[in-house]
Amino acid sequence: MKLTSHYNKVSILITVSVLLTGAVIYYFAISSIASGMLDEHLSEEVSELISFVNVEQKLPAASNFDDDQTEFLKSINRHTPTRFFDTIYHVPQKIGYKAGRAVEGELFLKGDSYKFVIIISREGAEGLVQVITTITLLLAVVLLGILFLANRYFINGLWQPFYSILNQLKAFDITRSGNYGRAKTAVNEFTELDGAVEAMVERAQNEYENLKKFTEDASHEMMTPLAVIRSKLDTLIQDDTLQKEHLDQINDIYSATSKLSRLKHALLLLVKIEHNLVPDVEDIELDQLVADKMVQFQELMRAKDLVIDKNLSLKKIKTSKYLMDILLNNLFSNAIRHNINGGTISIWLNAQELKIQNTGSANQLDSSAIFNRFRKGRLSEGTGLGLTIAKNICALYNWNLGYEFTDGTHNFLIHF
Amino acid sequence: MKILIVEDEQALRQNMLSYLSEDNNVCEACTDLAGAVYKLSCYNYDFVLLDIGLPDGEGFEVLNYLRKEMRSEAVIIISARNSLDDRLKGLNIGADDYLVKPFHLAELKARIFAVFRRRAGNNNNLLVFNEITIDLNGRNVLINGNEIILTRKEYDMLLYFIANKGKVVSKTAIAEHLWGDEMDMHDNFDFLYSHVKNLRKKLLDAQATEYLKSIYGIGYKFTDK
Repeated sequence: MKLTSHYNKVSILITVSVLLTGAVIYYFAISSIASGMLDEHLSEEVSELISFVNVEQKLPAASNFDDDQTEFLKSINRHTPTRFFDTIYHVPQKIGYKAGRAVEGELFLKGDSYKFVIIISREGAEGLVQVITTITLLLAVVLLGILFLANRYFINGLWQPFYSILNQLKAFDITRSGNYGRAKTAVNEFTELDGAVEAMVERAQNEYENLKKFTEDASHEMMTPLAVIRSKLDTLIQDDTLQKEHLDQINDIYSATSKLSRLKHALLLLVKIEHNLVPDVEDIELDQLVADKMVQFQELMRAKDLVIDKNLSLKKIKTSKYLMDILLNNLFSNAIRHNINGGTISIWLNAQELKIQNTGSANQLDSSAIFNRFRKGRLSEGTGLGLTIAKNICALYNWNLGYEFTDGTHNFLIHF
Repeated sequence: MKILIVEDEQALRQNMLSYLSEDNNVCEACTDLAGAVYKLSCYNYDFVLLDIGLPDGEGFEVLNYLRKEMRSEAVIIISARNSLDDRLKGLNIGADDYLVKPFHLAELKARIFAVFRRRAGNNNNLLVFNEITIDLNGRNVLINGNEIILTRKEYDMLLYFIANKGKVVSKTAIAEHLWGDEMDMHDNFDFLYSHVKNLRKKLLDAQATEYLKSIYGIGYKFTDK
């Protein structure tokens, strides 16, 4: 539930209950004031009646005109105290009953005691109460409506800076160095939040930039010592007096430096792919590219006496040629490197998928782990990053790279 | 050829100096930007091998200096940074080539050789090594005046060997030169052997002297001594 809804709920609940309580109190107050006025009116009539009886020494005729009624009853030995009360009475001129206010009391005439009842209509007062109630209700409805609209538009507007900050936070991508746009607001809390978020974004971006720079610098710094090792080896092998054992050792050092250099390239490439720092995408005819790759790799395949079977149909994709090259290089060199002498490589390409199938070890690879970093076969001389890079390139373009083991063949499938 | 090496890493500088100081090459070295500019203001060189990350600034300054002074030195940038931006920047402000560390000295020599040949242009497009004559424009190879047909890889390999004549060249260096980084076959040199075998056979069949010597386990040496 939104904050405004919460706020609406509470404020409307409070308003309604205050208004209702107010209306009830109001009703009773008005009623009692109206009753008081009627009672005053009745008291006057009573005193008029008594003075009339005292002067004339007779009862006035029981009147039954208009809405006022006066009745006299001879009461014997019964004392009637004076009291005011609400009553319903019958009006002869009109059909039906009316609400009225009555007073009853006792008066004495020539030694007899009479009970009198004077009833007057309380219609006027009722009308007044009704009008006031209607106005109060109307006011309540109008107030509620205004509150609702105000909450809806004004409060929503008030929260706008908050949403603007929130949206920027949601869209925040540390790898993209865009500037944080400050929300325009006069509300202190939001200004403070805005400032805090801006400072945080700046700090995070700085930290990230530093880290990136550090990673890059560190990997570059490692290249100079590596270059020294290589140049030393290149110079060392010029020596005619080196023995077979020495050369074997030197060979191993050469391999290790090559591996380090490849590892650095692979790591930097991974970083680039993860941060989408790759050169522009272009339209590529994948079938053509695959065919070119096979030419490029043909001597390696020939060296292992591999049989190639290809079935390529036209497929155009939009991608970075650079990454596509790397992807195919990795998959092809895996298919060759992990193949057996005299084995086969089959390549299928259609609009939906690219499948590279190769013979190799008879054991299935662990399909959940082979794409992990630094996961490689015991005998592999690779960096252990080839398939990770392939997987990340596919992920970048929302393709699915999968592995299957069927009938003793290893299959790598890219589903476009 | 007079070559100026601008590199702050002492060990690397020393090796470059000794590897290149043959074949009538005169090599000098300095360690920083100021030294490089000073040397260039006093002498003329044919080649400048320029490290980008120098202690007192970026090597690009040397390129700017050369361009401002309208000098004709060929420049090969040697950088630890393999970024496209740096590469383009270097080539745009007048570098002839860009070599990424760690490199093989043999590769450096082949690059110098290639830049030198390219600069010589049409005046000198014949490369002669005893009875082997290579027409660099037509990519033809003649042995004693008779043309032999080489594949692209064999031709590149022959040029690479001649550029590094008299030197032992490791098979890692040859493989990297011919196939580059991207097709990395992780120390599987079988495919290299067959190319070397074919090249040697073609040269011998055309009655060339056997210049190409195998150095056990490590690589090859192309020499007439």
